[in-house]
Amino acid sequence: MASHRLSADTDTHDDALAAYLADLAARLRGPHHRRQAILAELSDGLDQAAQDHRAAGLTPDQAATAAIAQFGTPQAVADAFGGELATAYARRTIVWFIATGPLVGIWWLLLLHPNPWRTGLIALVAAIPAIPLIAIAIVTAGGTFATTGRLMRWLPETGPHRALAATITIAAICIIGDLTVITMLLASGTPTRPLGLVAIAASLTRLACSITVVRHATRMRSR
Amino acid sequence: MLPMRPDLLKGHLDTLLLAVLGSGPQHGYAVIEALRTDSDGALDLPTGTVYPALHRLERAGLITSDWQTVGGRRRRAYRLTPAGQTALGEQRAVWDQFSTAVTAVLTRRPWPVTA
Repeated sequence: MASHRLSADTDTHDDALAAYLADLAARLRGPHHRRQAILAELSDGLDQAAQDHRAAGLTPDQAATAAIAQFGTPQAVADAFGGELATAYARRTIVWFIATGPLVGIWWLLLLHPNPWRTGLIALVAAIPAIPLIAIAIVTAGGTFATTGRLMRWLPETGPHRALAATITIAAICIIGDLTVITMLLASGTPTRPLGLVAIAASLTRLACSITVVRHATRMRSR
Repeated sequence: MLPMRPDLLKGHLDTLLLAVLGSGPQHGYAVIEALRTDSDGALDLPTGTVYPALHRLERAGLITSDWQTVGGRRRRAYRLTPAGQTALGEQRAVWDQFSTAVTAVLTRRPWPVTA
């Protein structure tokens, strides 16, 4: 075996390898940063494979062809990475929902919180009916994030299809929740205060993002 | 030796990858080559099997990676984490037990026919 352990290499891509990587790049779907990392890693692997074939006596053209054959068709490689990219997308999106949830929720809490003399969970749910939805979204997000990360060593792993389904569920819950509180505020007939405008703006922004997530995740899931 | 079908390795690929990385940091293509040469060509796994499996092991926290620039190229080197070392030790023990049991059954002599 040729020594691959972090050894120096001065090869450059030839046209065939560059074309292969360009074809692969067009077929990968998922977070941009992850796709770039995959392409950089495979580019290095292809170079190393071509270098090994040249060392074994093949011409540069034959070596490039052999390296490409070894790696498989761009579609096969893209399909193989589909699961990891889908999981990466799901995890990144879930983190985004968890991080932005309080930024949207705080305005609605300030706006719709129950009267001070009415305490307890029932009063809170009566004032903000979206709260049970938020609880479901948090549990779904936490569970999916945990079982697609380090905790999958001890818990059953959530596969890419389920991770995407969870992401779609969380986005759908956010859509329903945002529409519920916006409708409640508009139907209450209370004069629109600056706080209300901020809350509506925050929810509308998340609404747009959630719809985009549902579209993307559904498309990735159907592949 | 004839190459094995990747589906035969289902359930063992993680252990094999951890074992290859147990001898030191390696990049993805080197891991593929190590599997092939160490098994006399029986484990000639496609790229599409090994690279995503390495990414999954990293997600599980069993291996970690860092990027280095080697000869003007970006190269991703994988290494075992302490959790990966522990998992490798456990899985080696499980495999020893499993292979001993399976070998014992497969190599058992047939019962003598009684008259």
